[in-house]
Amino acid sequence: MPFEKLSEQQVNQLARQGCSATDWHTITIASGCDLSRINNVQFSGTVRIGSTDGSRTVDGVELPCGLSHATIADCTIGDNVRIANIGSVVAHYVIENGAVIQDVGCLSVTPGTTFGNGTEIEALNEAGGRGIRIVNDLSAQAAYVQGVLRHNPEFVKRLSVLIDEKVSRAKAEKGIVGKDAQILHCGTIQNVMIGPSTLIRGAQSLRDGTIASCPEHPTEIGEGVNARSFMVAEGARIENGVILDKVFVGQGVKMGKQFSAENSLLFANCEAFHGEAVAVFAGPYTVTHHKSTLLIAGMFSFYNAGSGTNQSNHMYKLGPVHQGVLERGCKTGSFSYLLLESHIPAFSVVIGKHFTNINIPHLPFSYIHEEGGVSKVIPGMNLFSVGTVRDGEKWPKRDNRKGPIKRDLMIFDVFSPYTVEKMRRGRDELLALSESVPKEKSFIAYGGLQLNRLLLKKGAKYYSLAITRYLNGKVTERLKVNLTRDRNWSRAVASLVPSVSLTNSSEWTDIAGLLMPRERLAGVEEQVVNGRIATYDQLLAAFAASYELYAEDAWRYIYDAYAQEYGIRLEDITVEQALKAIDEWEQASSSLHGMILEDSKKEFAAFARIGYGIDQPEEERVKDFEAVRGTIETNGVVQKLVKEGAAIPRLRAEFESLVASFSTT
Amino acid sequence: MTREEVAARVVGVTAQQFAMKTSDIKESDQFTVDLGADSLKSIELVAAYEEAFGLSVKEEEALKVQDVGGAIDFFFRLLQ
Repeated sequence: MPFEKLSEQQVNQLARQGCSATDWHTITIASGCDLSRINNVQFSGTVRIGSTDGSRTVDGVELPCGLSHATIADCTIGDNVRIANIGSVVAHYVIENGAVIQDVGCLSVTPGTTFGNGTEIEALNEAGGRGIRIVNDLSAQAAYVQGVLRHNPEFVKRLSVLIDEKVSRAKAEKGIVGKDAQILHCGTIQNVMIGPSTLIRGAQSLRDGTIASCPEHPTEIGEGVNARSFMVAEGARIENGVILDKVFVGQGVKMGKQFSAENSLLFANCEAFHGEAVAVFAGPYTVTHHKSTLLIAGMFSFYNAGSGTNQSNHMYKLGPVHQGVLERGCKTGSFSYLLLESHIPAFSVVIGKHFTNINIPHLPFSYIHEEGGVSKVIPGMNLFSVGTVRDGEKWPKRDNRKGPIKRDLMIFDVFSPYTVEKMRRGRDELLALSESVPKEKSFIAYGGLQLNRLLLKKGAKYYSLAITRYLNGKVTERLKVNLTRDRNWSRAVASLVPSVSLTNSSEWTDIAGLLMPRERLAGVEEQVVNGRIATYDQLLAAFAASYELYAEDAWRYIYDAYAQEYGIRLEDITVEQALKAIDEWEQASSSLHGMILEDSKKEFAAFARIGYGIDQPEEERVKDFEAVRGTIETNGVVQKLVKEGAAIPRLRAEFESLVASFSTT
Repeated sequence: MTREEVAARVVGVTAQQFAMKTSDIKESDQFTVDLGADSLKSIELVAAYEEAFGLSVKEEEALKVQDVGGAIDFFFRLLQ
């Protein structure tokens, strides 16, 4: 669209409408711009104004586009923009088409700012040493490798160069208020890049940051928010007095109710209300909803913090240097406490206060509890918690990201090479201990916890069930697909050979939600060091490639683990062995399923009715409970479990019938 | 084993696990409501019974047992 200088007549018209300019010659307007919609505006520097036609809806009322009661300095204003009632100034911004800026104290940019890009977040270790520099399209994986892979100084140095380059590209003379963004009733906004369709309403102070947003999933910053040195990704919603200082907020994150965070990163789909986060690496789906919950110096993902959850990272010696790792899927109960350093295994539950340094990475799905001040562990108990089953189902359903790019890569599987391999190691360790510990001993010390001797075999048994179910389930599932597609046994089993090679398929790692063989991560590390990954975007592409390979990498693990567990190479599996596999799968599945079902039924037992039918006779207590909670027969979760249980023998029969037809061929 | 012998062993293990006297344990005692067992204790209890009887039980069956009398019957049946 051609822009033109103002004629003398136009200058006079604007002057009559209360406008002034430091130099009218530096003010240009779009051809046909309706000047009657520019009132009481003071212009400074170079300002370009698009069409003032049309209207925008503000607070539910349709209002005309145009500029009124504002000081505007060095801005490029697009078409159909409304700027009104600016307390101080709108300076150094490109304001894209359809944007609204109304009742804002100050919206300005200091030329040369990076909009928060490059801010170093001292996550995990509050005293420093794991600084993660945030950029406007940071992924959980890119943050993880920055903060965690500190053993390789050359990698750290090279990665830093990639981030430097990314940060320098973010540096600009002007900020952008993206297309159709609305900034309403705010205090000061300084050095903030504002993405398309962003809604900022009532924020108190935003400084040095980037708010990414998109029409498919607008980002919202609400009342009383105070943020400095921050990045907010698409679709995040931050409101109600949140305080952020050096924080990355990921896609689809919900944050509010006076939550405060500093030196922290919260990736996709986290939910943070009321509490506090300090030096936290909150991987995807980290959830903290309650007051007096402090998450500090820890790494979390797929995590749920109970009220009053707390950790210590300070021993009052060399400073707050301790850090915690809670692997994916953990929960901490109300007023639980962990002394850091601690390493809590995947899908474990922490109940009570623990004053020892817990380190049990090979006992996933455990209950860590406190009894009389003593910290204890029950290995594998969370395998048959109905809560674990529900978690595994709910995460993919609750992916809140609606934008076209889903930046954090996530593998949702509860049972994966990562957890199954941990269980294999846990099982072997427990069995070895059960052989060596004398019967006279009631408890043994294990990873900072007390482990009941009786539970050594028991834990190993739980893990064995889950391993058996996983490996045989995956093998029979794939064999069934192959046999159904191509009714030829030899070809069906031949195609069980994995398409990918791994030197060590049993070593897996969880890169903030992305599960991958450790050697693939080492490959990424190596490529950064040798320069084959030369840009930040190439780093993201490398993780995307690993994500795409997950299914085949997981199959490689299954193939190798099956050979180790059963001594069977899958291309040599016989009909009889396949039938044994489905038999083992059915037994393990039925057993675990039965335990989960019994666990779910406890929610309807007598003790669960204690708070119901207050001061009423037993009959009314039961009726009150049933009215509120339902019954085993009507509860959706229990009935789903019942149906799934009924399906187990049917799946076995289907497989048997299919495979048996090959027994004579 | 007779039911009485099974009962004596179940009551003995139960008393030990809950730090009670055997004389204070009744067959009608429910593990959760009367003895205060939570899910965690239930696991330890099953493991203790298994060791006492030298058996490995199906967890999903064991976890259905609600009271001391039920545990006695459960193990008595298994030993037949």
